[in-house]
Amino acid sequence: MAKQQKQVTGTEHLTISREEILNRLQDRALVIVNVTPKESFVEGHIPGSINLPVADIESKARQLISNPSQEIAVYCAGPT
Amino acid sequence: MLKKLGYTNVRHYGGGMADWVASGGPVERSNPPAETSQARSSVRRNVPRRLSWLEILANWPLERLIGFWIGMILVFGLIYWITGISMGWGLQTGNVAVKPDLNGLETAIYFSFVTALSIGYGDVIPLGALRILAVTEGIAGLLIFGCVISKLVSRRQEELTEEIHRTTFEDRLDRVRTNLHLVFLDLGSVQQLQAEQGTLTGQVLRRLESTVRVFRGELQTIHDLLYRPNVDPDEEALESLLANLVICLQSLVELNGSRPTGSGQSASLDASLRSISRLAQEICGECVPRVYAPSLKESMDQIQELARRIA
Repeated sequence: MAKQQKQVTGTEHLTISREEILNRLQDRALVIVNVTPKESFVEGHIPGSINLPVADIESKARQLISNPSQEIAVYCAGPT
Repeated sequence: MLKKLGYTNVRHYGGGMADWVASGGPVERSNPPAETSQARSSVRRNVPRRLSWLEILANWPLERLIGFWIGMILVFGLIYWITGISMGWGLQTGNVAVKPDLNGLETAIYFSFVTALSIGYGDVIPLGALRILAVTEGIAGLLIFGCVISKLVSRRQEELTEEIHRTTFEDRLDRVRTNLHLVFLDLGSVQQLQAEQGTLTGQVLRRLESTVRVFRGELQTIHDLLYRPNVDPDEEALESLLANLVICLQSLVELNGSRPTGSGQSASLDASLRSISRLAQEICGECVPRVYAPSLKESMDQIQELARRIA
């Protein structure tokens, strides 16, 4: 869709640990993104995380996270 | 788990929600804040803001607030009266205790109003623990009454600001429409000049540059308008705006296609064109946050299509 494809630098497979997320819940520099559907997001999510269902990533990511170098942690429902 | 939209600093929490819950991490339940598109710069908006009860009160509509205020006074009056019945002491007028009859109820409610309005004539006085109650009522009455007054004052003001917003907004739409038309005319004449001369001379090129720059500005306005969540332009105005945008883009695409290579190169023109293409590509029926009528969506898709051809 209407996205400027930037060079993917091969960093997208980095992982973040549970402890780091736990320690940085109040840290505004880290945006925690929940990619589950809206329904399961409503039922429970990591505090402070924002909901961006997988289906909407392409269309809505730009609006929610405007800065491409924003530090982001993504998670979904279960272990993947 | 694709995050290839240009975000460079993405990490993945593999455990997901299941692992998080299993390890006893805090869980929050709420409405998804991501639904509205207003989170342009402020992500993390669902850290709940704790409202004090006073703020909650102040957010109530006026009628409810007044009702609550009167209700509170009546309840307090009732309490004064009932304490008078059950305990044998309560309110006193002069040196006589208020009797637990209908007359007494009237006096109790009268006292309640006098207290809540912080008038305090002093003809009826509370005794014992009722003093504390009376003071509490006085404070609460003042605060709620303050809320009522502020509501009354701000109501008119809100109307005015809304009116101002609306008119400036309409003015702006008008201006954008006019400018787009001028851009269209200008593009046409540049095209004609180019056809006559076969090349873009310096003067014409400069004219094209400035036209394209104006176009970029107006496009930005339309883009903002479509992405801004809280304004609701009426669809008719939007339709004519988008139609204008489409013909301008069409003309620009033609001009760009026939632009002779070699002569007539300009860095600033290229930059403006790139920026136009980027902005216009973000306008399509599906990518704007709100849902519009099918005809509008069609124009938007057309805009995106044209923008791709500029790029």
